[in-house]
Amino acid sequence: MQPQIILLKEGTEASQGRSQIISNINACQAIVDCVRTTLGPRGMDKLMVEAQGKATISNDGATIMKLLDVVHPAAKTLVDIAKSQDAEVGDGTTSVVILAGEFLKQMKPFVEEGVHSQIIIRGVRKATQLAVQFINEIAVKPKKDDEVELRQLLEKCAATAMGSKLINQQKDFFSRMVVDAVMMLDELLPLNMIGIKKVPGGALEDTLLVAGVAFKKTFSYAGFEMQPKQYTSPKIALLNIELELKAERDNAEIRLENVEEYQKVVDAEWTILYDKLEKLHLSGAKVVLSKLPIGDVATQYFADRDMFCAGRVPEEDLKRTMKACGGSILTTVADLEDSVLGTCEHFEEKQIGGDRFNIFTGCPQAKTCTIIIRGGAEQFMEETERSLHDAIMIVRRAKKNDAVVAGGGAIEMELSKHLRDISRTIAGKEQMLISAIARALEVIPRQLCDNAGFDSTNILNKLRQKHAQGNRWMGVDILNEDVADNMEKCVWEPSLVKINALSAASEATCLILSVDETIKNPKSGEGPAPQGRPGARRPF
Amino acid sequence: MASMGALAFDEYGRPFIIIKDQDRQKRLTGNAAIKSHILAARTVASTLRTSLGPKGLDKLMVSADGDITITNDGATILKMMDVDHQIAKLLVQLSQSQDDEIGDGTTGVVVLAGALLEKAEHLLDKGVHPIRIADGFEMAARCAIQSLERSAETFPLDVNNLEPLIQTAMTTLGSKIINKCHRHMAEIAVNAVLAVADMETRDVNFELIKVETKVGGQLEDTMLVKGVIVDKDFSHPQMPKVLRNVKIAILTCPFEPPKPKTKHKLDVTSVEDYKNLRKYEHEKFEEMVQQVKDSGAGLAICQWGFDDEANHMLLQRELPAVRWVGGPEIELIAIATGGRIVPRFEELTPDKLGYAGVVKELCFGTTKDRMLVIEECTNSKAVTIFIRGGNKMIVEEAKRSIHDALCVVRNLVRDNRIVYGGGAPEISCAIAVAKEADAIKTLEQYPFRAFADALESIPLALAENSGLNPIHTLTEIKSRQVAENNPALGIDCLCKGTADMKEQHVIETLHSKKQQILLATQVVKMILKIDDVRSPDDGY
Repeated sequence: MQPQIILLKEGTEASQGRSQIISNINACQAIVDCVRTTLGPRGMDKLMVEAQGKATISNDGATIMKLLDVVHPAAKTLVDIAKSQDAEVGDGTTSVVILAGEFLKQMKPFVEEGVHSQIIIRGVRKATQLAVQFINEIAVKPKKDDEVELRQLLEKCAATAMGSKLINQQKDFFSRMVVDAVMMLDELLPLNMIGIKKVPGGALEDTLLVAGVAFKKTFSYAGFEMQPKQYTSPKIALLNIELELKAERDNAEIRLENVEEYQKVVDAEWTILYDKLEKLHLSGAKVVLSKLPIGDVATQYFADRDMFCAGRVPEEDLKRTMKACGGSILTTVADLEDSVLGTCEHFEEKQIGGDRFNIFTGCPQAKTCTIIIRGGAEQFMEETERSLHDAIMIVRRAKKNDAVVAGGGAIEMELSKHLRDISRTIAGKEQMLISAIARALEVIPRQLCDNAGFDSTNILNKLRQKHAQGNRWMGVDILNEDVADNMEKCVWEPSLVKINALSAASEATCLILSVDETIKNPKSGEGPAPQGRPGARRPF
Repeated sequence: MASMGALAFDEYGRPFIIIKDQDRQKRLTGNAAIKSHILAARTVASTLRTSLGPKGLDKLMVSADGDITITNDGATILKMMDVDHQIAKLLVQLSQSQDDEIGDGTTGVVVLAGALLEKAEHLLDKGVHPIRIADGFEMAARCAIQSLERSAETFPLDVNNLEPLIQTAMTTLGSKIINKCHRHMAEIAVNAVLAVADMETRDVNFELIKVETKVGGQLEDTMLVKGVIVDKDFSHPQMPKVLRNVKIAILTCPFEPPKPKTKHKLDVTSVEDYKNLRKYEHEKFEEMVQQVKDSGAGLAICQWGFDDEANHMLLQRELPAVRWVGGPEIELIAIATGGRIVPRFEELTPDKLGYAGVVKELCFGTTKDRMLVIEECTNSKAVTIFIRGGNKMIVEEAKRSIHDALCVVRNLVRDNRIVYGGGAPEISCAIAVAKEADAIKTLEQYPFRAFADALESIPLALAENSGLNPIHTLTEIKSRQVAENNPALGIDCLCKGTADMKEQHVIETLHSKKQQILLATQVVKMILKIDDVRSPDDGY
């Protein structure tokens, strides 16, 4: 008898060969099915409850994928591309997953028929390359130097991004706000300079954009209410110092010989604090913000001198205040000069819903802004925040890179037509592969129709016909259950979103196709991997 | 292909896992998910339905600790119900955010949301796409709000004529348990808000209104103190019970020898030293009392305590004092008396003292409870509402009711447009929306009509709770509204003989009604958009 050779640890799962590719593809299909219905303006939301009972309601592909907690190694690739699309462009996370799934689905018959994976991969790569080239060719570039036109372009892109979200009825309102917000930033368009705060209550339309910084009133000590709550062009001191009566050194211990010294130590401690406070007062600062607590003594001291203070300001808010108002965050009050103090035109504390907010407006360096979201429920606002995030990302991208294409499935149909035309000129297996990719691209308009409850075959046929006649921007018209020129209807998307989605999807496809063996180590701490439900195994 | 939530199998029949713990997750998709949500939400709404209106009934809730709450306030009921279902939680948040923003109408908003969902269910059965229902609802809500704004009237906000304000507050209080002394409470609420309102910026800072409660006495004994009530008494029983024209020192430092914050150790090596220490402490007391006396203060209010020795000394030096007064109270006292909070004895100067006309101790019945009332202060911007009542539950409910009334008056100060209550605005909106519906070409016509029907559920519930024949009453009022073109006709809940709410002085703020409709529509849209629920299986 031949001795058995044990190569791998017991419980290790190893599978290989063509069947492995197929099974990976199946797993990916299952994932795609999760997000399929969220695509487009008639897409639905998902409610996900985590084990701790925290619920999330979302329409954002990346958010859903993140929360699904996928463990299958191949399927995880899809989660990763959704995440990378989110990080790179912020929108189109659902479409990238659907595209990848559809590419795989179209490639499955080739794998089954024995085409070598490397050939398939080469075909997919080539098709993607052609498609990206084509997008760049046909993308429309509105003139950037025209302020008005640029604004319109940005607003339309934002509106398209928000079309599928919960807030699509208010998309005009929000797209204006998002564009305003992005326009306020400086050239680098740093995302963290747009603060988003949520206050329950109020209608969505009450959401407001503050051209400056706003943050929630911090915990305050007695005496706070006696401080003035409004200033015009105050000087602002930003600190990283604790203004409280405290031990200067934590581990120090003082040994006192006699009673007189006792009083001296007490006085010394007070003097330290009062010195700090006096310096702040003398510097002319009217508003004092600190990352660390401002104690009751300091609060009352400031109240006495008509100054405003807020302690325990969250760091990012403090940083944004610094960016907006100038000045710098100080760790000592030793040399307070005007150059390190910030300023703004107007400061006030204002009631918004149930909370009070500190609002700084008219900042000299206004490279920052704050959006205060209002809405009925916690989850509603969270979803609004995610949607606004997507829109902001899109506007940022579009501003940097201004080429646009028509959305609503139009660009996919055009790409599909283009690839099909090209494929006919190629001899060899690649012809089949490229035309398969062309077929796969049609999934986006088809899914849009399916989600909206339309007859997808009918509409797709119409679209194919229109595109064959050379109507480049014909896409699905969700409102009228028909096809329409989406360039005219202002359903625009930055071409970058599409390019990125296409390349990410094809990368993922290639990756999954090139894997032919999985070795999975047994989970440590648990017994051998579960063998599934008894009786559920099919006979070999 | 394997669907999610079940195990997927590869071609050898081996199961593979895509999502972590997927066999332990529950998944609900499509219309089944929406239906189950609607059912959950309607259950919540139907709990509240009977609490609506002046003849609405109360709910008694026993918490896990055995605390009993009896209330009629929608937000409170839902908060106490401790719901677990995700969708029901959304409704709780809905009423909560109405509470935060408006403070009133928390029951109405949930009932409306429930009714909208009920109508949506019928439409779903007809096969209308949920998003189209949601879109239709949103359009209808906009239409309803326009109609509301058309019928709104400007409210005569006049500081010299409080009658209309009192009438409005009475509407709010009408449904509460305390309507026994309806008018009395309304007057208190109006006076309290006007005392602290800033008429120029139309802002009301609620932190200046304090609500104190004490079990005992009758509801009629509830009073408004233009000053501050502190649940404390003089530190020594022999101190005078009433002080007139007194200057107040407000101290946040303890009456004891100051201690350094740094860790310290005093070596007492001889009897001499010990005596010195005692002497030092004694001198310190004397000095402090003297400093207070020197400043001219007749009363010391301390945030911290002092020991009996100090107490005795204060009595000897005839300086009444109050100890252990909490931070917020200290602040209110400072604002009311115009004094400054003094953190150190050394800083005490005559101009930092507050002034009060009367400071007296209140005794209650046979109990030994005492409270301190500070009245006739220099600044009347801080007021206290002092609620009395037969038992704890009544007092608590009275507190909530007063809060509602305060909110309503505040909203009027902010925005003085009003509509008439008693279901009148809902009926007029329903008529307007139904009329608009016929002009719509698309499918949204159905949701539009459904919205109109749902609006009518509020007057229906009102009539039902008042013991009237709901359908009969509603149809009568509706026909009269159309015939007389008078949007002020509502349900005559109190059987006063007239349906004209203008005559009955049943007034609600426009802002509150708008919020109700907007928030309810928002949440309904959110619920309708969810088609996939994923939750741990051990849940509901």
